[in-house]
Amino acid sequence: MRAMDALKSTNRGAMALLAVFLCMAAFPSLIAPYGPSERSMPYQAPGPEHILGTTNMGNDILSELIYGARISLLVGFASALLATGIGLAVGLTAGYFRGALDEVLMAFTDVVLIIPKIPLIIILAAFLRPGVGILILVLGALSWESIARVVRSKTLQVRETGFVMSARCMGFPPLRIMASDIVPNIIHVVLPKFMLATAAAMISEASLSFLGLGDPSMESWGAMVSSAFTKGGFIREMWWWYLPPGICITLCVLSVAAIGFAFEEGEGTTVRVE
Amino acid sequence: MSLSADRLARAYRNGFLPGSRRTVFRDLSLTIRPGETFGLMGNSGAGKSTLGRVIAGLEPPTAGRVCFHGRDTALMNRSEYRAFRRSVQVMFQDPSAAFNPKKTIGTSYMEVLDLIGTPRPAQKAVIAGILESVGLSGELLGRYPHQISGGQSQRLALGRILLLDPEYIVLDEPTSALDVSVQAQILHLLKELQSERGIGYLFISHDEAVVRFMASRVGRIEDGRLVIEGEA
Repeated sequence: MRAMDALKSTNRGAMALLAVFLCMAAFPSLIAPYGPSERSMPYQAPGPEHILGTTNMGNDILSELIYGARISLLVGFASALLATGIGLAVGLTAGYFRGALDEVLMAFTDVVLIIPKIPLIIILAAFLRPGVGILILVLGALSWESIARVVRSKTLQVRETGFVMSARCMGFPPLRIMASDIVPNIIHVVLPKFMLATAAAMISEASLSFLGLGDPSMESWGAMVSSAFTKGGFIREMWWWYLPPGICITLCVLSVAAIGFAFEEGEGTTVRVE
Repeated sequence: MSLSADRLARAYRNGFLPGSRRTVFRDLSLTIRPGETFGLMGNSGAGKSTLGRVIAGLEPPTAGRVCFHGRDTALMNRSEYRAFRRSVQVMFQDPSAAFNPKKTIGTSYMEVLDLIGTPRPAQKAVIAGILESVGLSGELLGRYPHQISGGQSQRLALGRILLLDPEYIVLDEPTSALDVSVQAQILHLLKELQSERGIGYLFISHDEAVVRFMASRVGRIEDGRLVIEGEA
């Protein structure tokens, strides 16, 4: 009981934290003290005018931090959505139809599973035109395989239940059975996977941006750390430049992952098909 | 106008090595005529439920054919297969899994009527009629599956099948998860519906007394073969 309460309070804290980041991403112009292109004296230390100081270009670091949430969250959620969509489609098709189709799809999934992700993403990001769209596409297209495996195994289980067999027997079309009878009964295993895929995509985005492979026109948290590293922030020991985006990445990923884990933990407590 | 199995066999692959197949049953033939009950017995794992699923078209046979109204179901065109699909239904053993836990019973009923094209305004009356014939009230329609008892669930599952006006129902151990008094009620209801509607049953059970109470002909699966005992 105490463990459940702890879980609930962790979940509430994580949700509140994520809500703060979502607000930052949704309404940056209302929260940020300066616009993204407003400039003043470069390399300023924290003070009353610029709470976190300014960058080498004179941009307000706090404002950059607030505007940066948009890219991190957009890349995280959009690529996780894409990965979940592909994983659901592959897993449902393999689990529902079984047979040769299942074997082909799962063999393909295994191939994707063993590809080393980060090196491949680095190569793709370097060769393709850097941009948020490409980043979402690459991260989403390379992180669906664990979702597909989970969805397939759960689909294999649910398709043998009486109500799915009845629906097949009555002549409901396969797509309708999958959407109406199977997906609602496996969504509890997909949701935590979606949150964890979001957290993983945010880390990948930050890593790529730090390596200079992100979208140069949009300042994300990873790109901020990268700028601090390459534009004199580290040499001048301007911790207020590189530490806040690092903390934001950590907290945001933690909140998303905590919600994912809470969903996974809560799995055992809800009414569902077994 | 019968439902028949002709030299039916079902085997499962058991590993990737050639020849590693497990035969569930082979050379199995039987005929179910309208309005009669064929009782199928056998030990656990003998292949009774598999046979029921193959006859209902939920699994393909490895060899042999299933014929409905004299037509091989594997060779049916689209409209013939659709008619077969609606005319041969299965009622499963587990009452708790008979309905989608995320939907109310009413929704589960209405989607069947939507499938067969019953107009929405007429659906209420159709459902009320069916519920009356299975001895239940409309109050249950707003409930979720976990809010109803096992006996109610089996009656509701039967009612949902009756919406399609089937000619044959494969009853796969329909009462084995119920207590004795509810079991008797369901068996009597099944007999009553059969005499009213002329439905043919393939009644699968490991309980010999129940099978003999229900069936006019009885068969037993032994070592993958069907032994028909003649009139019970």
